[in-house]
Amino acid sequence: MIQLLAEAAPGNHPTITICGGSGYLCTYNYDTLISTAIAVVITLALGLWVAATLRRGTPRKLQMLFELFLGYVRNLSRETVGNDVPAFVMPLAATIGFFILVSNWMDFFPLAQPVEPPAADLNFTLAMGLVVFVLVQAYAIRVRGLGGYLKHYTRPEGMNPIIRTLFIPLNIIEEVVKPVTLALRLFGNVFAGILMVYLLGLWFGAFAGNGPVDSALAALPVVFLIVWKAFDVFFIGTIQAFIFMLLTVIYFGMAREGVEAPEQLEPAHA
Amino acid sequence: MQTQAHALILMGALIAAGLALGGGAIGAAIGDGLAGNATIQGVARQPEAQGRLQVIMFLIVGLVEAMYFINLALGFYFITSIGKP
Repeated sequence: MIQLLAEAAPGNHPTITICGGSGYLCTYNYDTLISTAIAVVITLALGLWVAATLRRGTPRKLQMLFELFLGYVRNLSRETVGNDVPAFVMPLAATIGFFILVSNWMDFFPLAQPVEPPAADLNFTLAMGLVVFVLVQAYAIRVRGLGGYLKHYTRPEGMNPIIRTLFIPLNIIEEVVKPVTLALRLFGNVFAGILMVYLLGLWFGAFAGNGPVDSALAALPVVFLIVWKAFDVFFIGTIQAFIFMLLTVIYFGMAREGVEAPEQLEPAHA
Repeated sequence: MQTQAHALILMGALIAAGLALGGGAIGAAIGDGLAGNATIQGVARQPEAQGRLQVIMFLIVGLVEAMYFINLALGFYFITSIGKP
């Protein structure tokens, strides 16, 4: 049987055990580790290269793209969080967005099992969602103080205490669901992408080499594959990276919602 | 007996995944339609805002369709994990 892509079924990650036991903390999906490492190296290399070849006056093309992107993220965080946005929000959001973009665009190349888009593993996206979650909670505590932070779970304010007590579970769920949806959204999109590629490959394998009519029909999944790859990588991949970044900034904005920003700071500039 | 029970479980999982995918497709289609509807109205009212509205529309479309893809991915995940004998 002719195969279009020698791919294992998506969702089966080969694992490696490092510390002897078969414990949960000792087993790693090494394909995700490899592909994440590749994405990290590409991201760091691009960023460091742009930083090393910075120049005033007429910037290079890549530097111009970075400036556009970073300026956009800075504007976004100032508009969403406020003028006194902490210094780490913009670099965090920009790094997350760019890193996810790189790791999604890796999928453009015909990757085989040990290397695949890392976001097709739930562990990868959940880790990033947890990082954002922890930082958002820390920021909320710093802005509101511990008492104000705990009191914020009794939204809506100005109601009578019984109703506010009833709202506590809802607010906790709302908070906990944030990293989960953040992770599942990215994971679902990328995983569905490679699942589609796998199914088209199966379709091709079932038809190719079985006689003239079937071989002609086997051209169909190849066309679909090209269209799907382009759509999946360059449309869905880009939009999901952007959404992850946008929601990161929005969650920081929600963490300080209702706390007044000092007015005397310079207004957000383009 | 063992294989029959397993086949029944797999059948139920496949039917459930089909129902989930069908319902999810309806929801995603309605959501896309609402986003497109609002964009068309906005452009008809203010044609010069088309560029900005399209960016927002694609953003919303991405958010809406993410729900469907979560459905699809988790459905496949459950089928494969249940389908293992």
